[in-house]
Amino acid sequence: MQKTAKNNQGTILRIQRMSTEDGPGLRSTIFFKGCPLSCAWCHNPESIAVERQLHWTKIKCLGCLTCIDACPKNALQMTGKGMIIDERRCDVCGACLSACPSTALDIYGEYYKVEKLAAEVLKDKVFFEKSGGGVTLSGGEPTLQANFCRELLELLKTTGVHTALDTCGQCSWQTLEALLPHTDLVMFDLKEMDKVKHKKFTGANNKKILENLLRLARHAQLQKPSFQLWIRTPLIPGCTATEKNIKNIGAFIGKNLNSAIARWELCTFNNLCLHKYEGLGLDWKFKKAPLLSAAEAQALADAARRSGANPEIIHLSGPLKFAGEQTAKEVMNKKSAALAAGK
Amino acid sequence: MSISTALQQSQKIKEPKNLSARINWLRNYYFQGAKRAWNNEFTAWTTGTPWDIQFDEMTFYIVPETYPFLQPFRISMQQSARPVKLHRDFWSWSLPERKAWFVKEVMVNYVPQEILPGDLLAGGRFNIQTSMCWTKKEAQERDKLIYGKAGARAKMKWFHDHGYGNAGATSGHLIPGYERALKIGWKGIYQDLQDKYAALGEKEKKGKNGAQLRAMMTAATMPRELAEKYANLCAKLAAAEKDQTRLRELSQMEENLRKVPWEPAQTFWEALQALWLTHMLVMSDENYPGPGVSFGRIDQYLLPYWEYSLKNGMDREFGKELLKCFWIHANTVYDAMIRIGNQGITSGYGQLITLSGMGQAGRDMTNDLTYAMLEVIDEMTPILEPKPNVRLHGNSPDELLDKIVEMISVSQGAPFLLNFDERSMAGMLREAKKAGVTHLINEDNVHDYAPVGCLENTMQGNDRSGTVDNNLNLLKAVELALNNGRDFHVFVDPITGKKEKIRQDGPKTGNPEKFRAWDEFWAAYAEQTRYIIKRCVDLYEQTESIRARFCPTPYLSCLVKGCAEKAQDITAGGAELSFTTLEAIAYATTVDSLLAVKHLVFDNNDCSMPELITALKDNWEGHEKLQAKARFKAPKYGRDDDEADKLAKAVMDLWCNETWKYKTISTNRQFRPGMLSWNYWVGDGFILPASPDGRPKGRFLSNAICPSNGADINGPTANVNSVGKVLGGKDANGRGDFREYLNCLPNGASHTITINPSLLKSPEHRAKFKAFLRGYVENGGSALQINMLDADMLRDAQKRPEEYRSLLVRITGYNAYFTSIGRELQDEVIARISHTSI
Repeated sequence: MQKTAKNNQGTILRIQRMSTEDGPGLRSTIFFKGCPLSCAWCHNPESIAVERQLHWTKIKCLGCLTCIDACPKNALQMTGKGMIIDERRCDVCGACLSACPSTALDIYGEYYKVEKLAAEVLKDKVFFEKSGGGVTLSGGEPTLQANFCRELLELLKTTGVHTALDTCGQCSWQTLEALLPHTDLVMFDLKEMDKVKHKKFTGANNKKILENLLRLARHAQLQKPSFQLWIRTPLIPGCTATEKNIKNIGAFIGKNLNSAIARWELCTFNNLCLHKYEGLGLDWKFKKAPLLSAAEAQALADAARRSGANPEIIHLSGPLKFAGEQTAKEVMNKKSAALAAGK
Repeated sequence: MSISTALQQSQKIKEPKNLSARINWLRNYYFQGAKRAWNNEFTAWTTGTPWDIQFDEMTFYIVPETYPFLQPFRISMQQSARPVKLHRDFWSWSLPERKAWFVKEVMVNYVPQEILPGDLLAGGRFNIQTSMCWTKKEAQERDKLIYGKAGARAKMKWFHDHGYGNAGATSGHLIPGYERALKIGWKGIYQDLQDKYAALGEKEKKGKNGAQLRAMMTAATMPRELAEKYANLCAKLAAAEKDQTRLRELSQMEENLRKVPWEPAQTFWEALQALWLTHMLVMSDENYPGPGVSFGRIDQYLLPYWEYSLKNGMDREFGKELLKCFWIHANTVYDAMIRIGNQGITSGYGQLITLSGMGQAGRDMTNDLTYAMLEVIDEMTPILEPKPNVRLHGNSPDELLDKIVEMISVSQGAPFLLNFDERSMAGMLREAKKAGVTHLINEDNVHDYAPVGCLENTMQGNDRSGTVDNNLNLLKAVELALNNGRDFHVFVDPITGKKEKIRQDGPKTGNPEKFRAWDEFWAAYAEQTRYIIKRCVDLYEQTESIRARFCPTPYLSCLVKGCAEKAQDITAGGAELSFTTLEAIAYATTVDSLLAVKHLVFDNNDCSMPELITALKDNWEGHEKLQAKARFKAPKYGRDDDEADKLAKAVMDLWCNETWKYKTISTNRQFRPGMLSWNYWVGDGFILPASPDGRPKGRFLSNAICPSNGADINGPTANVNSVGKVLGGKDANGRGDFREYLNCLPNGASHTITINPSLLKSPEHRAKFKAFLRGYVENGGSALQINMLDADMLRDAQKRPEEYRSLLVRITGYNAYFTSIGRELQDEVIARISHTSI
């Protein structure tokens, strides 16, 4: 096995079928491996590195140590804290993976040829057609594998399937432009308007991102047939989830993009990815961060609606904090009262 | 999930709504269960002879949980049976005539008639266990066939004990000709019988045919005489009634009952009254309350009456009120054994109604009555009976799908089953070709099919397809193939501790340790499959032939086309369409086991055949690494993996083709394949030894056509695609069984998907879910049950069952109150993957 993809291959993290959160209708979302940003809150930390990575899942491990004997590079070591993978030695050859009886060892990233990947996602074509859905390229950052993406999008378009590109916008305009003729929808991440904060949160400033967004909006109005443009903003507590940031993004949209944007999604912070950080042996700054409460999320949505962006295109999605223990007690009391009343 | 979430969600348990004071009272009264002053529990009735029995154990041979109770049931019914004064000529009559007279005598003159306060329909007690009406000689002959050393009971027990499954001639599970009974009245049915009798020659009249028709004529007068009794009761109640509204209701009920079900119905009220009496007497006649005595396309054949009454001033809400009374009546089936706890509610019932669906030329048949009934279900839920099945197809209207998805989103799972017309009709047309009955099922009428029980597709009013009668564990063939035709383990009787020797039960298919290629193993599996099917067919013949000789049901025979024409009881094979269904159990476990053998031993060299066999005999203990490989590394069915699904299809084709080879000898009923798989996949998991897919003995098997638990890691669409593929998928050139659709299972297959509630959280999501259902029409199976639960809530329900009494779950097509289904089934539901897209 090889550590990086050959020319005609893409490195794919996973395919999620029947996705309802990555564009219109029912979709198959292809998560590409590799991202130019390194957002502090990243929900897919395993997607950041371009290279394939070996990883180990504790709850799946039988403790049989078969993998240790199987590794030709002596890169694995079982310790009291779990499996240590020596990344300098590991060349992701896959020998341990084949030997592991339980899939505790696995590799993030699989090489695909365009035809095979297209065939895989097209298995759900009927569901795309019935729902107005299709295929979404997401990640990681798909534009890091621009040639592969273009070939894939081109092939998918020949079958009439709706295509969406979910991008962080941190790429050259030429790269982006080459994908647009085969793309029906671009979902563009706009996380933070303040360039200093943007640099702090994501590792890069937002100059290129904003330029690309403006060009995309112009392009969408010129290109025939055109494509739709959505903006997505993650609401991260203590980072992007401030009224100021939302107002600023909204003002930017209102000033430059109102006629070009079909939807602005505010996506609330999600903590379900914690186990991925643990699996990678990483500490996650947000592991104790609470979900947004309904009131907080609503306040941000209201700020967005007053910001100058067209209020009708604003959508709030993602998990919210459940009512606290106090409310739980109230619920319990109500229930007991109802039971006592013989309901 | 935190406790607060659990509590929040427990608040979401569906509550009934929009019920009138009348319905509220009737519903609450019903749920008082055994505390009620009135109930419909079994009463037993005897001819008074010392050899008389009431309980027909054969009809419970497909319910292994009852095996220890067969003898006690027989005795207790016998002891509690009250004598009926016999007609002086009684013993001079044929058996069907005796039976028809006896059931009628009990229902009309012995069982009391009552009407509950406010009820708008008459027809209360109907759960009876009547005398078998046998002469001493008949009783002795029959007993020998049942209890002898090679008798039906011993054979049935052997079959179950050794993990093959079960089989028995079972009552219910058909759609009687209710449409005709409403249209021409019992008077019309009687007239037809009389004409057919008159047309017999003198010799025939004296013989079997004459006796059968005379029995049916006697039975045909039972509804009239019972209705008369209820009419008199209404008159009596009206005379004492002070409330003017109720007085008018009782008078109208009396008027209805003086007319129907003898005369044809005209109004909706009359039609419902006639339908209820006609239906409940089927259960009286068979001594078998509920299971699978199904109504068929009720929103179609009741529509003319509904429209007539609406046109003539009936308020639509009053029409729904009548339906709600009908719903309450249907639930009283459970009273049969009300004193055993939980109000006698078990999951083994199912008076199925069919709603919507396709008509001629692909036209959609959804109508106002469809929606009225859906409203009634919505307002009455949670309640179990009658069990609704909504038929969907390519032209189903958005309005219907909107209503359905909305109902799913507020219940703990769909309060109905979904049937899919194109796939189902393809199966029915396949059946017609296979059995040579294209004159009875064809392009022109196949749209009038309807499911019985849960999802078992049949035609209406002329079809008995024995849809639960044969339940065969396909996995048994894997065990036998791995051991050259012998059981893995010694059978030890759990009560006596007696050990049975291991014998050469199956054919010698060779020592698998010597197999050098996968094909050799497949050949052995195929031969063992042929053997277990033959064994099942032979077992069924025993009970089928006994029933045909000793257990006529002349009243039911009046309602099934073919019986009068042939002057033959339905139990003797009188129905025009007379099939019996072989329902395969543990399909995915079998497929995954074969995939594992192929992967571990032949493709990947993970182990040798002797190593695998040793691991299985050790129940995987001490072989955890190999077990993990079997569970996690071997391919599985249900992932839309074309290679794995190809083997799954080969397994399917093998047992289906074999099944079509057989007919019953005594009654000439053609065997047909299906995948109902009731709850056997749980219980039989404790009988069958460890399987190569990594399952140890004691873990449940796979359910019906569903992938094994936890195997469907690629989500609902992949799961759906796999199911559609193994049924046959679509013909690339458009030449399928129905249009391009192929379906090798005429009976249909039970498919359950558990959906995370988050899939329905917003209007946008609900639109996506609707599209999922439309996609299912194209790519999926014949029937779908949607569960909408999360595991934490269910675990909470296990801990605090008292808080979740009305939590409904639906498993493999039948629905049940979660707290009533037993720990193992509960665990199984919890283990099922909860699909989520976020």
